[in-house]
This record gives sequence, structure tokens and C-alpha cells, in this order.
Amino acid sequence: MWGFIYVSVFLIVFVISIIVKISYHPGLKDYSVKWDSSMGTIYTDIPYGENNANRFDIYVPADNTKKTYGLVVYLHAGGFTTGDKSDDAEMLKWLCSKGYVAAGINYTLRDEKHPQASVYSQSMEIKQSMPYIAEKSKELGYPVDKMAISGGSAGGTLALLYAYRDADTSPIPVKMVFELAGPASFHHEDWKNYGLDQNEEAAANLFSIMSGNNITVDMIESDDYDNEIRDISACMWINNNSVPSVIAYGVYDKICPFDSSRHLINALKENNVPYDYFEFPHSGHGLQNDDKIYIQYMEKVCEYLDRYLGR
Amino acid sequence: MTLMQKRILILLVIIIIAAILGRLTVRIFMNLLLGGSLFGGNFL
Repeated sequence: MWGFIYVSVFLIVFVISIIVKISYHPGLKDYSVKWDSSMGTIYTDIPYGENNANRFDIYVPADNTKKTYGLVVYLHAGGFTTGDKSDDAEMLKWLCSKGYVAAGINYTLRDEKHPQASVYSQSMEIKQSMPYIAEKSKELGYPVDKMAISGGSAGGTLALLYAYRDADTSPIPVKMVFELAGPASFHHEDWKNYGLDQNEEAAANLFSIMSGNNITVDMIESDDYDNEIRDISACMWINNNSVPSVIAYGVYDKICPFDSSRHLINALKENNVPYDYFEFPHSGHGLQNDDKIYIQYMEKVCEYLDRYLGR
Repeated sequence: MTLMQKRILILLVIIIIAAILGRLTVRIFMNLLLGGSLFGGNFL
């Protein structure tokens, strides 16, 4: 009888412990809201191009009395091959609850139906969407005159590219970028996690797919390589005028190699760009083991939003 | 210590071990998928 009780109690507590570990993050509740219609309105699937994926969602706050608004764009994760703007609904609602116009954008994912899609083509779609977002905001009575761009993982890469490469031509002035674990450089020596140091052909294939250019094994070791990956390497576009940045990377990241982040940090440092960098010493790509640092990251994001976009 | 007290003590030890193992299991699984250290940071 007592043996049965011991086993039952073990199993019950074990399962409860798993559920609590997955779902209970008390410090993070400040960065989400229980959404209701009194906070704002959500408009979904607004087209910005001809591809099926060319759609964005826009979240406008309830307060429509301001002359102008700050826009925060949040780009979804998914390794450039999966994901959807609805994945970030919680973040977008939270941003909207702070008084910003928030937008999530879908872009054409690289999959069997779209074998030509690349990081480059996706970044160009994001660029293409911006005039439509500006126009829609205005149409809804929320004209935007400044913006922040953000994202996680693949979304982080696309956010950094827009912030550093495309900000000069943006229809809405870009004031800042914040992102989590987005690859900002594609120097092959940093991508050893993928076994690319042992297989140059695999490296050439991966970076060809990423860039949308035909990169050969010979090119990887040559000076041409930097030119071929420049359009998808956010860190190569940083200059003295680049926008303030809040960035975060996990030391144990296997997906976005941690070593690749040093190029971004060095470029920000060398060009005197205002930035804050958060290193997650126990975490991988999900930044999952350092909640305290995640809270510090979000506090800094709030500080930047207040400073560069206003309330 | 009575037999009942011993049984309750064993039960408490089992609860603590199960709670730790549950959290550790999630952490190990997530670390396998995403990378990460086994200890440090969030408790387990």
C-alpha cells in the first residue's frame, strides 16, 4: 500500500513540476497583457504584395487622440522556413497596450513551394511592406512618424537588416532596433556547429540558400565571399549613423552560433553606435535558462522605447 | 521516530526528488533542442 502511494506521489509531483517549469515565469508577466477590446483594435492579413505570404497584422491602441504615433514592428522567428506573425501576438498586444502602433509581418518562407526564397528575398519583402504599413496606419487614424523594428531569431536577423541596411530609405524614420538571437553575420568559421568546418560543400550550399547567391566552395575562402553575403549580413552595414540597438545572445546557442554575435558587437563598438548587449550565460537559442537577464533585457527595451519613440 | 513519521519523511523526500527531476527533465530536453547549461541561471 505505501509502495503504491510513494510511486503515485512521485509521478504526480513529477508531472506537476514539468508543467510548472514550462508555464510559470513570474517575472515575465509584466511584459504581456490580458488583451481585451478596450485596449485597442487588431486588423489582420492586410496585403502588401503579390505573394500569399505578403500580409501584415496591425494593432492600434484605443487612444486615438495623438497627432502621431510610434510604430513597433516585430518580425517572427522560425529559421526562415517556418513561423507566422500570429506567433508574436502576445508581444504585439503588449506593445500596443503601451500606446504604440504594433505590426507583425509575414514574409515568404523558404519551403518546397518557394525554393527560391532566401534571407535576402525575405528582407526585401520586409522593406516592401513598410510603405503599406505607414499608409494603413494613417488610414486608420494613427499616423506614424517614427519606428522601432524588432524580432527573434530569423526575425531578429531581418530586423537588424532593415535597421542597418534599409533605414536610410525607410518611409518611416527608424529610431532603434531590439532583437534576440538573430544571426547578424555569416562568416563561415563561426558556423562550425553545422559541421561546416568539415564539409565545405555543405557550407557553400547553406550560404547560397541564405543569400540567394550561387556561392561556390572556392568563393568561401576568397575575398568575394564577403561581397556575396553582404546583403544578408547586418553587421556589415553598421556605420556611425546606425540606430541604437538592444541585442541579446545565448552563450550555448547552437542555432545562431554564439561566435557570430561578436562581429555585431565589434561593429557597434567600432562605430560608436549606442547599444546594450545582454549575454545569457546559461542559455541556448531560446534564451531559456536566464529569466533574470531576460527581464533586464526587457527593462532596457522599455527604456529605449521611451527614449527613442516616446510615450 | 514512529513508523508513520518515517513514512511521511520518505514521502517528503520523494516529493522533493520528483519536483527536482521534473524541472531537470524540462531543462535537459530544452537544452538538447536549443543548447544550454544544466545548472545555473533559473533554478534548475
